[in-house]
Amino acid sequence: MLLKTTALTKHFGGLAAVSQFDMFINKGEIVGLIGPNGAGKTTIINLISGFLKSSSGNIIFDEEDITSKPAHIMARMGIGRTFQITPMFFEFSTFKNIVASHYLAAESCFWGAIFNTSKYRNKEEHIVKLAEETLEFVGLSKARNELAKNLPHGYQKLLDLARALAIKPKLLLLDEPIGGISSDEINLVLKAIDKVRSQGTTILLVEHNMEVVMSICDRIIVANYGQKIAEGTPDEVRRDKDVISAYFGGEYHA
Amino acid sequence: MLQKKITTVPPDRKSGLNTIICCAGLIILLFLAPLFLGSYHIFLATLTLMHIILTSSLRIIYISGQLSLGHAAFMGIGAYISAILALNMGWTPWITIPLGGLAAMITAGIIGFSFSRLRTIYFSMASLFLGVMITKLVGVFPKLTGDMTGLMSIPGLNEVTIFSLLQINFAASRIPYYYYFLILSLLTLLILYRVEHSRIGLTLKAVAQSHLAASSIGINERAVRILALAIGCFFAGIAGASYAHYVTFISPSTFGLMPSIYLIVYLIVGGTGNFVGPIVGTTVLYLIPHLMSELKGFAPFVLGGVLILSVFLLPQGMVSLLDRITLWLNKIKLLLNQLKLWSNQAKLHNKSKLPISKINKKEVS
Repeated sequence: MLLKTTALTKHFGGLAAVSQFDMFINKGEIVGLIGPNGAGKTTIINLISGFLKSSSGNIIFDEEDITSKPAHIMARMGIGRTFQITPMFFEFSTFKNIVASHYLAAESCFWGAIFNTSKYRNKEEHIVKLAEETLEFVGLSKARNELAKNLPHGYQKLLDLARALAIKPKLLLLDEPIGGISSDEINLVLKAIDKVRSQGTTILLVEHNMEVVMSICDRIIVANYGQKIAEGTPDEVRRDKDVISAYFGGEYHA
Repeated sequence: MLQKKITTVPPDRKSGLNTIICCAGLIILLFLAPLFLGSYHIFLATLTLMHIILTSSLRIIYISGQLSLGHAAFMGIGAYISAILALNMGWTPWITIPLGGLAAMITAGIIGFSFSRLRTIYFSMASLFLGVMITKLVGVFPKLTGDMTGLMSIPGLNEVTIFSLLQINFAASRIPYYYYFLILSLLTLLILYRVEHSRIGLTLKAVAQSHLAASSIGINERAVRILALAIGCFFAGIAGASYAHYVTFISPSTFGLMPSIYLIVYLIVGGTGNFVGPIVGTTVLYLIPHLMSELKGFAPFVLGGVLILSVFLLPQGMVSLLDRITLWLNKIKLLLNQLKLWSNQAKLHNKSKLPISKINKKEVS
């Protein structure tokens, strides 16, 4: 088991965005996390990646308790994530964005950088090589020298994915990777996700596009009002009564 | 449109031999300057060099996404620590100056740690408070700091002998101080350049652009911002300490809010996006009010006007002036070409007496 949350809870004031959430992700699995708007999906991702501190509950990653560790520690432990609203280094070119993302791989040495030692330069070359590979991998070679702020939205999503991949994540959290982009761009992103998947990276996917979720995921967790209401294979979830009532409203059955 | 064009110009366009030759020429010129400058001008040049250290170190903090409004206060910490140690303990300035820099750096580290939750404008506001507070802090230990009147007769730099060949006597004239500040500022600029153009600089800029993206790739965002503050304030402290031993008199008003704001004006007018920006900005704006003596009382007004004008007309700072000029030259060239084309067309038209629309079609095909 790669990730396990027990009774994970997050309160925003009086509102329980996530309450008593238990879930697990096995190594190599692709798990979908779906639910209507406001179900707490993004909050769960923020909790696991350390951008929010949980009110109570535990997160165990790789047999280590990582509850309420800061985001950069989580990243160093191997939790990569993308964002719903993609933040990036807008004034950098695509390539420079990816180069910056690889700096985690090379230990930073202050004096080495200032005196420009050969060790530092070797590392720098190594990073550039790695960045080149990542650029190729997600299929952004065409946009290499474009400033990130001038990229089309779909390419920004790809760049976001590239940044998450740069830290060589054991667990990749994808927060609506194809939200709000054109169908051509969706294909590009899906192709990249497929490649990641074939490498055996464990993925937690949050997405509203049911077709994609159903076709990609091994297992699906459904959340509503911060609670888990169903879990199982795509087929099981599709037939679940609670899920149907959460999406289409209860009581009135067709 | 215009702005976009300028931002996409790669920054290392002019890199290579040309830049190196220019820099070397400038440095040689600066080293020879005492040969043909009077003592007042040497004094001005020395202080300009000191301000270049201050503005450039302020920029290192700026590129990490923090605009410090209390930078002169850190210069003051360096100056006071160094002066007090030299006066009371009798230590040589060669030891107390680095200690002053360290003191400023440690203070910046402590303050940075407590301010590091604040980003952007909130950090600026906190640093504004700091800039005001530090000058008042002097009044807490009046015996040590001389209160509002300041410290007087601070010892100057001691005589140095380099390998028993070259003996530099700082007491005899002001020129050795000029060389001291020249070498100090060159060293500072060299280190700051390396910091900015290495992995550290990229991390600083990354944190400034998106702290979310930065922490998602494992950058300790708070630590990076504290580091930027510490580096910047170390050099400010060194500059302040050297200043104290140069002018041998310091008072709290030198390190108050106004000097900090001047530094920001130098930085913004010079151009924040370029390493050369603060150097150009400081040189021009520091020298103008001093060289035009009739301007003296109005210096703040002039600076304010220059700031407003540059924000409107040159948002990328004075450094972008060169790019602008080349851009305009290109436009003029295009226009001239167009005119030539038109006149040729007109000649053709006169010769053949054809309607001009037909000739246009021929040109296109």
